[in-house]
Amino acid sequence: MTRIVRITRESFRMVRNNRVRGFIMILGIAVGVASLTMTICVSQGVYEKVMDTVNKQGLDLIQIRPGSDKFTGAPSGSRDVVSLVEDDVDVIRQHVGNIVAISPVKDRKEIEVKYGDKFTFTRVFGVTPIWAQIRDFDASKGSFISEEDMSFSARVCLIGQIVKKTLFGDADSIGQTIKIMDVPFTVKGELESKGTGAEGRDRDDRIIIPITTYTNRLFREIPLTQIVVTVKDTDKLNKTVEDISAVLRERHKISPGESDDFAMRTPQDLIDMAYGASRSLLHVLMVIAGITLLIAGIMIMNIMLASVSARRSEIGIRRALGARKNDILRQFIIESLLISLFGGILGTILGYCGSIILSSMNVAASNLTPLAFAAAIVSCSLIAVIFGIYPARKAANLNPVDILRG
Amino acid sequence: MINIKDIRKTYMKTSVETNVLRGVTFSVQRGEYVAIMGASGSGKSTLMNIIGCLDKPTNGQFELDNINVLQLDDDALSALRNKKFGFVFQQFFLLERTSSIDNVLLPLIYTDKYPADATQRARKLLDDVGLKDRTEYHANELSGGQQQRVAIARSLINDPDIILADEPTGNLDSENAAEIVEIFSRLHKEGRTIIVVTHDRTVAEHAQRILELKDGQLKG
Repeated sequence: MTRIVRITRESFRMVRNNRVRGFIMILGIAVGVASLTMTICVSQGVYEKVMDTVNKQGLDLIQIRPGSDKFTGAPSGSRDVVSLVEDDVDVIRQHVGNIVAISPVKDRKEIEVKYGDKFTFTRVFGVTPIWAQIRDFDASKGSFISEEDMSFSARVCLIGQIVKKTLFGDADSIGQTIKIMDVPFTVKGELESKGTGAEGRDRDDRIIIPITTYTNRLFREIPLTQIVVTVKDTDKLNKTVEDISAVLRERHKISPGESDDFAMRTPQDLIDMAYGASRSLLHVLMVIAGITLLIAGIMIMNIMLASVSARRSEIGIRRALGARKNDILRQFIIESLLISLFGGILGTILGYCGSIILSSMNVAASNLTPLAFAAAIVSCSLIAVIFGIYPARKAANLNPVDILRG
Repeated sequence: MINIKDIRKTYMKTSVETNVLRGVTFSVQRGEYVAIMGASGSGKSTLMNIIGCLDKPTNGQFELDNINVLQLDDDALSALRNKKFGFVFQQFFLLERTSSIDNVLLPLIYTDKYPADATQRARKLLDDVGLKDRTEYHANELSGGQQQRVAIARSLINDPDIILADEPTGNLDSENAAEIVEIFSRLHKEGRTIIVVTHDRTVAEHAQRILELKDGQLKG
């Protein structure tokens, strides 16, 4: 049995002999580590949710909308802002590099759609064939709109899964005729199911038609509600955004100092938006974790200091019997390490339970990762050493003669 | 074995110099049983602490087995206390809430080499002082006499050269005191070197030699 093992056993024995003292310190550490674990679980959960959303959208996508607010520049609500037109698409295509594909988009919500005696209200999008590639939104059945459909302003459409369920149930929809605002359209395909998008809107509740048909046969309106662009090199995405902005400002004759009459949304904006709600909760948790850990540390230091005074005779006896200063130092540090580790384990369990409760109440997503465990163990060990070293040094530097004299 | 020459100890207390030891010279041979006597305030506890390597003199020379003790650093002194001395104190100084056997084993935590037969050795020593059935009792569950006997067993666990006892009977009634004195006599017969500091002449008289300390100097 080596010396350090013998000293560790003594530390164990001394912690066990002072259960109340140990218990209080363990509780203090546990509360601190619990809030830390919770913070990490929640931030992991949020991170994964955000990345999931952004990956659904694609990391190479730029959305250009009329109006100057990139979040409220809603596709259908801004018909009063006539700032984006098809010519803008051509200008961007010609003058901006690093672009894979670009498509204008027009859309309107709450459009009446009928099939036989069934009807629904849904959002109708007018797009170009390349849109399917840009938004990664292809036909799961049948086929997407073609260039030929575009040139003839063909009355063909693709229906989202929700529209399909409402109008056709389980029956086959391909080749059937539905009426959009009483204009007959042939169902050319069904869209693959996408679930909820970054904006929180159901992406399966929609109908896609050629943009030429949208303009010539349904709504006869010029302004676009969106232009979508995918870039080649995502590292240069910000540069591309600047280029598009410059081109559009010039074309729209916006003088320097005046604000844009369009807004661009990048994957980074999506990340920011998705983080938004959880961010403030995360900040609060981080602050709580920091404060409770600090309090736990100060508490450890306080109780250890008090115990050094209470244990003067023990220290004197040990020193007289041959303990070196270093042996006493190690014993006390190991004692606070042991207590902190117990507190850390208890705190991780509590914090995990807490984050499960948070996510079950839908306050925040949460996820227990090895990182949370590691952070808990590292942080409580650090606290043990940082706040335990001063009392331990004090204990080690007591003069045995002074103690034993009584 | 112990060679002490002209040891002086001066304390500075509120800017007044107190000369506790004023030139003490003596030696102790291996296997000797020596008593150091003196009234309280005579400096005998200070002398005891210096011999036990717990305290350092202000001046003088101290050789232990030809080692110049006064040149050693704190760690070396700790090791020396652990290896060479068995301490017995007036207040017993056992660890509370700790069993007799763990108290006896305490010095072994700080040895360089932990003996394989440590537990058997501790049991044997407790048996020798008549505490065979008290090995698992905590210090606070034992009487004063029993506590002092645990302390004596503890002082022997490292098989030390010298037993250093500071007023070992000071907190005991006469019956228990007699028992402790008897144990010292037995240890002396077994060949141990024993130094007892006491103010009690009946205790001192069991020693082979009595050194009387008065006002920081040895008499005669």
